Order: sequence, then structure tokens, then C-alpha cells
Amino acid sequence: MQISTRKSRNRAVGIVLLLALLLPAAVLAQIEPPAFNGYARTYVGVLFDGERQGDYAIVQNTLDLRWEQKRGKVGLYVNPLLYHYQDRADPLDLVFRQAYLDVFFDDFDLRFGKQQIIWGKADGVFITDIISPKDFQEFLLPDFDEIRIGVTAATLNYYIGNNSLQLVWVPVFQSNGYPRADSLWAFRRFDLPMEPTWDMSTSEVPANIENSQLFGRFSAITSAIDVELMAGYLYDANPTNHVTRVVDPATHQWTGLIVRPEHHRLSILGGSFAKTFAGVVVRGEGAFYHGKRFNIEDPAFADGTIEKSYVHYLIGFDHNIFGIDVSGQFIQEIILDYHEATQNDQYTNTATLLARESFLRETLTVELFVYYGLNEGDALIRFKLTYDLADGFEVLLGSNIFTGPTDSAFGQFHENDMVYTKVKYSF
Amino acid sequence: MRKFLFALVALTLLFVNNTDAREFTAQQIMENVYNRPEGKDRTSDLEMILVNKFGDQRIRIIRQFNADFGKVEKRIMFFLAPADVKQTCFMNWSYEEAGKDDDQWIYLPALKKVKRISSESKGDYFMGSDFTYDDLGDRHPNEDTHALLRTETIDGKDYYVVESVPKEEDSMYSKTITWVATDGSWIGLKKEFYDEDGELLKILSVDKVEQIQGYWTILNSTMHNVQKDHKTIMNLSKIKYDTGIKGSMFTERMMKRGL
Repeated sequence: MQISTRKSRNRAVGIVLLLALLLPAAVLAQIEPPAFNGYARTYVGVLFDGERQGDYAIVQNTLDLRWEQKRGKVGLYVNPLLYHYQDRADPLDLVFRQAYLDVFFDDFDLRFGKQQIIWGKADGVFITDIISPKDFQEFLLPDFDEIRIGVTAATLNYYIGNNSLQLVWVPVFQSNGYPRADSLWAFRRFDLPMEPTWDMSTSEVPANIENSQLFGRFSAITSAIDVELMAGYLYDANPTNHVTRVVDPATHQWTGLIVRPEHHRLSILGGSFAKTFAGVVVRGEGAFYHGKRFNIEDPAFADGTIEKSYVHYLIGFDHNIFGIDVSGQFIQEIILDYHEATQNDQYTNTATLLARESFLRETLTVELFVYYGLNEGDALIRFKLTYDLADGFEVLLGSNIFTGPTDSAFGQFHENDMVYTKVKYSF
Repeated sequence: MRKFLFALVALTLLFVNNTDAREFTAQQIMENVYNRPEGKDRTSDLEMILVNKFGDQRIRIIRQFNADFGKVEKRIMFFLAPADVKQTCFMNWSYEEAGKDDDQWIYLPALKKVKRISSESKGDYFMGSDFTYDDLGDRHPNEDTHALLRTETIDGKDYYVVESVPKEEDSMYSKTITWVATDGSWIGLKKEFYDEDGELLKILSVDKVEQIQGYWTILNSTMHNVQKDHKTIMNLSKIKYDTGIKGSMFTERMMKRGL
């Protein structure tokens, strides 16, 4: 979850202080003037469907500052964001997206601090890209660099020619960020026969070394093919909801339900590739998850969950057709050794399509991006028109349209169809 | 008598020019242009000023590194301005092997990953400029059929005028005409690009040439799209040759790390 509490702010300030302490005074004395850049942005969205038609979906101002210093073998990068929400009681939200220290050597680099770590070849889908948790407070609508939450980690990159080996240690687990229950983007609850009582006693993973996470990746880019192989020992960033039935011993009737969210350990093995065939870039990415838990409706399972191995993969392409950049992806999730009472389908199929073209010497860009759920026939259709009024100054007009059954991933937001505008100045 | 002497001088000049022309075929001239010494490697800053028909300007600044590793030539470009593309990086590997397509990757800071991109779209314009990716690369002379049209004297300097017609059918140009200096520098003075209908589309004019570390180098040039009346001014600065750029410069590591 994005930092919005005092506790989180203190943690962010702590990271900066820690980085300052880590940077030796002798090095600080030699540092070149810092480089500043970033952007200021105003974002206004209006709902145009459903009961709340005409209401603002979002009124947000953002200041993104990127402060960077490099000197010889060390570098420092800090990226605070200040969000201002006109329509909230607590309007300011300070986020330290990244704050880290780099140390460069001839054959390897080290990075310490809060960082976004992004793996894989997929666009808009998270398969091997599982180190940085995701902020779903506004579903999948923010830009992808805003969806990914920085994690405090120590990273080693070792280089052999064009190949690299990356090892990541994440000492403290951080969950995905979810919307509040009263948010427009609150997810539809899984089906329960009655209103439950929530037991949050296991909703956080205690911060200790035993609960830290480890990841490794080998990456190569070559003339023939680009390849990544990865493995991880982690916690599921999505909690599993354990459901306990309260039964009256006299009547043997259910008198209540207790739902207890818990993050579980996972092991993951995966990889990705990209290769060009006759002008078409073909991409693939896949991962095998061991230890993933799913909700189940079989009374034989006392806590309403079942552990199953799980495969998540995609195959995609990028091509320029008649001057239009077109990308397509087919994504499949498979639960192995499937139990019929599992709430998720055994096979969940999704497709994405991106089409983009620029006009007027790349000052005007038109883009269409579609997520389409093949199981339920639901979709998120995103249209964007961006115009660069001047270098670094852009105006964006867009719309998000949700279709499909109300119990589907995209259809649940069918009343949140919106048009929006963003005005952004980069400096 | 004066008329006769003038005609004699003119004929002599024409003969000299024709002698030059006979020394080299059109194919040889374009091969000499292609093979003009450019060093083992080069570092430079590239400023592109995009000017529309109203005179409004947009500026792109790039730091680029090129190196020739024999069978493969590698280039990496770090975008410095404008602010919204800062830290974007583009890398290209082009191969000596005939028919082998370039490999290209782009690093977009918003995505924080290196993406392989197709090199097929060489007719696309580079960063909204009037230069296509193909215009910026070294087009191999064997990809065109060349004809020496004439020699021409401009501002006291002699030039071969060579017409080049692409062999591939789907080229965005029907032909180009290049003015190449006869002084042995093998630098072009200007180049005209004709569209698929045979109409003049763009004119590339070389505004300033200097010898740097013994290599002839185009410092300032302008590409003018005469059909849409906009142009791109290209200025090269901070040029260094043969600094011993290592292969490790042209890697995923450098694309992500930046300058």
C-alpha cells in the first residue's frame, strides 16, 4: 500500500536518513551538483455511467521529484511524490517511491534502499514481475511506474559480458496495496453466505529475518534472443482469506463466519524471452508457483482454502502494421491438480491488445489498450489521446470503459466508466 | 577570340571534371562515401532542432557512442532532453553480414526495463524529426543502383552528382541524388530525397564540415521537408574519436544505468 500513514512517512524519512549515513562524508564532499528532474501533473476524472454519473472519480495533483547524484563509484537517487487530493479529508499523501544508494564496481553493482525492481517481458501483466508489490488503490488505471511500489532491498548485479546475474534480498515483506472498502475501486468480495467478522491477526507478516524474501535472476541479451530465468522464495503479495465457520453446538447451525487474511510462502520458478522473427518481436513469459492458496467452497476444507501449484504464462507480439504499433498478448493461468470446488476457474484466459500511432511529428499520439477476459467476456477498454503542446508539456484526454458481468474482474466496475484529463509538465 | 578562349577554358574544365568522373564509377563513389574513415569509435553530443513551418522550435539532445567491432557496429544513445524523455536509451547493433537485420533495444525509464524492438520500421521518423532511422544509418551501397549524372561546381568546389535508386520495392524513396565532393574527403554536400511518386520530398544540406583527429566530420546539417515545409537542424559537438570505447558500453547494464 502506498505510504499514507504517519508510520509509513516515518519509515520513508528513516530510509533517507539511513542513506545519508551510509554515504561517507568524504564522498559527499566530492559530489557533483545534484540533478533534479520530475513532473507536475493535474488529473481529473469524471464518471459518465451508473448511479454516480457526473461525480468526480478523481481530482488529483501530483508533484514528482527525482533527485540524483553520481560521483565515481557511488550514486544516490531519491524520488518523493506528493499527491494532493481535492476531495479527501486528508488531502496530502507523501510517497517515497524510491530512495536508494548505488555502489558501482567493474563487474558488479550494489544497490541498497527502497527500489522498484521490474522483471519480465510482459506488458501490463505481472508474472515474473513479483518483487515490487502493486498498488491497486485505483485498480489498474495509474501509469505502471506508479502501480509498482518500491521495496526496501539489497540488490547485487553481477555482469559477464551482455549477461547479468541479479540477486535480491527483501528483508521486510510488503503487501500489495488495496482500495478502502468505500472506494470506487474496492474489489468485489468473494462469495460468502453471510456478513463475516474479520480477524486481522495474521494480515501482516512479522518483520524478521526468517520472513525475508530472496530472488535471483539470470538475464542475457544477444543477437539471437533475449532471455531471463528467475527464481524466488517469497510471500504471496495477495493475502488468502481463511474462512472459519462458527457453529452453534446445540443446533449445529452456522451462526457466523470469521475471515482471516494471511499471506503465505511461495516458491516460484520462471523465465521470459523476446526474439525477432521477420520484423515481429515475439515475447513469452511464464512462471510456476508452488504453495499458492485458493479459496474453496468444499465444507471438507475447514478453513475454506486449498493449496495448489499454479502456472501463469503469456505469449505476445509487437509489430508495426501500416504505421501503427500493435502489440497483442494471450495470458493463461492454470491451477494444477484442480479441485472442482475451487472458486477460481481451472483455466483463466485473458488477452490484451495495444494499438498506438503518432501524428504531427510525434506531438499527437492516439492509443487504445484493451484487457479482455476470455472466460467471462469482460473487458477494460482504455483510449488515450496525448498532445505535446511544447517540449515536456503534454495534455492527455482519455476514457476507461468497463464491460462484462458484474461478478467478473472488469465487469465489477461497470459503473465506473470515466473520462479524464491529465495535464503534465516535465522538468 | 575571347569567346574562343572562354569556350576552350570551359571545355578544359569539363574535360577535367569528366576525367574525374571516369576515374570512379557511381558505385565506386558511393562505396568510397560508405567506407570513409570514421575511426574505431566515436563519442558525440547530438542536438536536433525541429522547426515547423511557423518557425516554432523543439529541441532534442542525445549523447551517443558508436564503435566498430569488425563484424558488428554498435551504437548507444542516451536521451538528455526534453525532460519527458530524459533517461530513455536506445541501442542498435548492425551487422556486416548481408541481409542480417539490425538488433535494437529501447530502455524506457517509466517501464524500467529494456525492450527489444523491431528494426523493420527504418522508414519511421526518429523522435519526430525529418530524419528516418534509415537516413541516420549507413546505407550499404549495394542496396541501391547508382548512376553518375554529372559533375557540378558549387562555390568553387567540384562534386559528383550521383543518383541512387533503391533495389527493394517497398522503399519509401523512389530515388536519392547525392552531391559528393571530388576532393577525396568523400563528404556529401547535399542529398535530395524523392518520394514514391518521384516528387522531391526532402533536401539534406551539409552546413559545416571539419577534420577532427584526421577524420572528416559533418558538424551541422539541415534536413528540409519541402512538401510540408518543416525542417530539422542537426548539430554535432563534443566529438571524440578512437577513445577505446569498450564493448561493455553497449549492454543492458548501461542502458539501465544511464550516464
